[in-house]
Amino acid sequence: MAYSEKVLDHYNHPRNVGSLDKADPTVGTGMVGAPECGDVMKLQVKVNPTTGIIEEAKFKTFGCGSAIASSSLATEWLRGKTVDEALAIKNTDIVNELSLPPVKIHCSVLAEDAIKAAIDDYKKKSAHV
Amino acid sequence: MKLYEALGLEPALALHMEEVKKHFYERSRQWHPDKFSRASAAEQDLALEMTAVLNDAYRTLRDPVSRAEYFLKERGIELSKDAPAELLEEVFELNMALEELRDGDASVRAQLEQSAAKFRSMQMVSDTELASLFIHHDAAPGPAKLDQIRAALNRRRYVSNLVRDVEKELHVHSAN
Ligand code: FES
Repeated sequence: MAYSEKVLDHYNHPRNVGSLDKADPTVGTGMVGAPECGDVMKLQVKVNPTTGIIEEAKFKTFGCGSAIASSSLATEWLRGKTVDEALAIKNTDIVNELSLPPVKIHCSVLAEDAIKAAIDDYKKKSAHV
Repeated sequence: MKLYEALGLEPALALHMEEVKKHFYERSRQWHPDKFSRASAAEQDLALEMTAVLNDAYRTLRDPVSRAEYFLKERGIELSKDAPAELLEEVFELNMALEELRDGDASVRAQLEQSAAKFRSMQMVSDTELASLFIHHDAAPGPAKLDQIRAALNRRRYVSNLVRDVEKELHVHSAN
């Protein structure tokens, strides 16, 4: 199976790899895993609490090329979006953008789950401040 | 359940290795292809086929984990698709350390060996847990118990894959 151009591009030049301070109350962290392949993905967002806009997004993924590309793309999309817009990102959007084949769909699901988990975490944290 | 039938065993989760072995030897002797050397072609084929099924049954049923996986599958239960959430953080850290090791940082070895040991002991705990779940299930079978078994199996599989991966990496990078 050949990876698409876009997947390769993200894979070779992943955007926004790294991590944000988990303890920061404006940072939401999502950690998800796929049991079939054992892949794990961490995705973090830093939200401006007054505007609700995601100012920074970082990820680190241990997994296949499609999972890395999906999370890299996700962080690109997240930046500048509001929290609610972020929640509207669907794995099918990622599949289409990256032309992922059917066997790689679960990799994009992982990215969607990671976004949801990160936003969830942020919301929980900000509810307490 | 075909594999239990082949060995003449009642479908149960808790089985003694010795018992499985005894049945296997008895049946294998009975179907040994040598005994059929003068039989018809059809009988010879049957003997061969039975021998293959018996081998398969023995291999699957003597090991508690593969036995339970088979049992659940026959009951139409798939192993769950969720990675155990409580382990993710640790798995992530583990992967970070593995990456450093691959990049040539040998100082993470101790940390990795520690996690491997920890996951190995988790595996042992899972085994004990499974053994007792098996007994409870056999005494009074039910879907809730099968579900517990499924969760325990899933976790065990995940953890043993981890152990395997870490050990492999530690081994590959031990030479240099
Ligand atoms: S194969 Fe596991 S996330 Fe792609």
